Amino acid sequence: MNNTHLDASQFTQDQQFDTDIVIIGSGAGGGIAAEQLARAGFNILLLEEGAYYSRDDFVMQERWAYPNLYQEGAARKTRDQAIGILQGRTVGGSTTVNWTTSIRTPQPTLDYWHSEFGLNFTGDNDLTPYFSQAEKRLNIHQWPVAPNANNAKLQQGCEALGWQYTVISRNVNGCANLGYCGMGCPINAKQSMLASTIPAAVALGARLISRISVRRLHWQGDSITALEAVPVDQHFQPRSDISIRIKAKHYIVAAGAIGSPALLLRSKVPDPSGRLGKHTYLHPTVISGALFDENINGHSGAPQSIYSDQFVWPQQSDTAGFKLEVPPLHPVLMATKLIGTGEAHAALMQQFNQLQVTIALLRDGFHPQSQGGTVQLDSAQQPLLDYPISDYLWQGMRNALLAMAQLQFAAGAKQVLPIHHDATLYSSWAEAKAAIQQLPMQKLRQTVVSAHVMGGCNMSADATKGVVDQNGRHHQLQNLSVFDGSILPTSLGANPQLTIYALVWRNCQRLISMFKY
Amino acid sequence: MDRRNFILTGIALGAVASLGSGLAIWSWQHSVTPDSNNRDLVLSALLPALLYGALPQDATLAAIELERTKTAISDFLPFLPLRQQQELNQLFNLLANRLSQLGLTGHVISLTKLSLSQRLQLLNQWRDSYLALLQQAYHGLRELLYGAYYGQSEHWQTLGYTAPRFR
Repeated sequence: MNNTHLDASQFTQDQQFDTDIVIIGSGAGGGIAAEQLARAGFNILLLEEGAYYSRDDFVMQERWAYPNLYQEGAARKTRDQAIGILQGRTVGGSTTVNWTTSIRTPQPTLDYWHSEFGLNFTGDNDLTPYFSQAEKRLNIHQWPVAPNANNAKLQQGCEALGWQYTVISRNVNGCANLGYCGMGCPINAKQSMLASTIPAAVALGARLISRISVRRLHWQGDSITALEAVPVDQHFQPRSDISIRIKAKHYIVAAGAIGSPALLLRSKVPDPSGRLGKHTYLHPTVISGALFDENINGHSGAPQSIYSDQFVWPQQSDTAGFKLEVPPLHPVLMATKLIGTGEAHAALMQQFNQLQVTIALLRDGFHPQSQGGTVQLDSAQQPLLDYPISDYLWQGMRNALLAMAQLQFAAGAKQVLPIHHDATLYSSWAEAKAAIQQLPMQKLRQTVVSAHVMGGCNMSADATKGVVDQNGRHHQLQNLSVFDGSILPTSLGANPQLTIYALVWRNCQRLISMFKY
Repeated sequence: MDRRNFILTGIALGAVASLGSGLAIWSWQHSVTPDSNNRDLVLSALLPALLYGALPQDATLAAIELERTKTAISDFLPFLPLRQQQELNQLFNLLANRLSQLGLTGHVISLTKLSLSQRLQLLNQWRDSYLALLQQAYHGLRELLYGAYYGQSEHWQTLGYTAPRFR
């Protein structure tokens, strides 16, 4: 323990801190904010519920990484347990464990926000300079190395079918093409918040407190007056024996799209729009496995280097769009997602290295039948996301399973296995097509996962349609900002980290100029 | 009816229905507090079934892998939200006691006395149950158990997978 980093689990008595700005959460939003605001000369206190693990601590095994670096041991589920959610919980948040894909906010998404939420990101509000600055800061470049076989199959399938694909830009510097991004980069090549903005902020005088869970914001009139927090125990459960009180001039909530609404709900802050904790989006994702004759070795090499937007913006407005990508393949991730039990499951696992996996991320939040989920609090005041899946989304998922099977056969797959509990290995596109059209699209039969949580504190120009304004400032509480993925009014149709970096970078500049006058 | 009783009754009804047993409904007052004996009993019964085909043929080696997996499960559980830990504890307590008295054909037989294929059949009946609670039990146990087994580097030989070493 030193002056710049405090581990709250080591506190032996109640604590009190005063600062200019307190930032709750150290992920994509909190990390960018810490550096920007420290650079502007403010005293910063950066709080993180997870532990301060860095390069030398990371173990390249899921059995260590999941419990230590992810929310709920990487076993976070929606209320009815139909959707599994991968979300970081460590210094750097999800940026410490994400797969490095960096994509600017798609223009149609910004257009939709403009028409539906009055958010104008053109002219003086153009995000382009902020994308450029974030790309420069985090060394975001198109990946120059050949894709690994898992990604190459996605590319080959697209080429064979004449589908669109793009080589992914990644936030890495000196990447060794290992494939273990999801367990924390062991060589600091990934330009996560942990390896970039947070050390820079600390060098500028920011203080970091890890293993601290903020339980409540106290407020009066139109202002937050203090926050109340507790340390977490060795399993990241909030403790009750020690209390930490922090007073600041400005409060930035950046605890992620489940954590931020949960904190504001616990604090019972004003919510005249009724949208707090509502309209949470997930990019609900379905999975398709494919067996090839040759080794794919999906654990090795940059996890994501190719995506396809062939289906993300369909012509028909009543069809859910989806983006095609691939995940890294590691034993726990695969064993828990592959279907079946006993010998059938063991046989699939034994073909682990011949397995190619494609995923389809549905673009949710753009349709009356896609209004997202709701963050609720359980009896321990911990968050729980209720996310019902509508027929519109189920139909999109069936379309996605079809597209993935077609793509995998076009890329030379021997057999394709849609990850659905009633599916089996299919040996031709015709067979797969007929079977997928008959699969019951129901929760707990169709496997659904998510690695992108968005919304719940959505921004809007009009206070009746959102929780924060276009600058991330709370519509009712003057010294409260929300700077993370929870401000997104819909999902993105693209991996979210770069959108969050740019929005928060911009919002910090607005905040700094406000303080100066 | 509170949520706890609802879950337990749901599981019981589902079990009775799916097993075709005519047993009466008991009062379900199983504790949400952990009982390592119950957990051990249930895991000892279900792991060899779920992992059939993955465990080594050699009984001694298989026993070592099972013990390692059980340890991994008890190490992992405290990281889950308390809500989820309580639901799993209930499930373990239930399966170790009341439910274990249900046989597939209505005979009184303990979970551990079912054959491996009967245990798999039981799990698959939960998967295909019309009750979401039983489906959740199937998926919850399956992910927990497979995650714990395949998380162990000692069990990767048949996968041809190794984690990189840097230090």
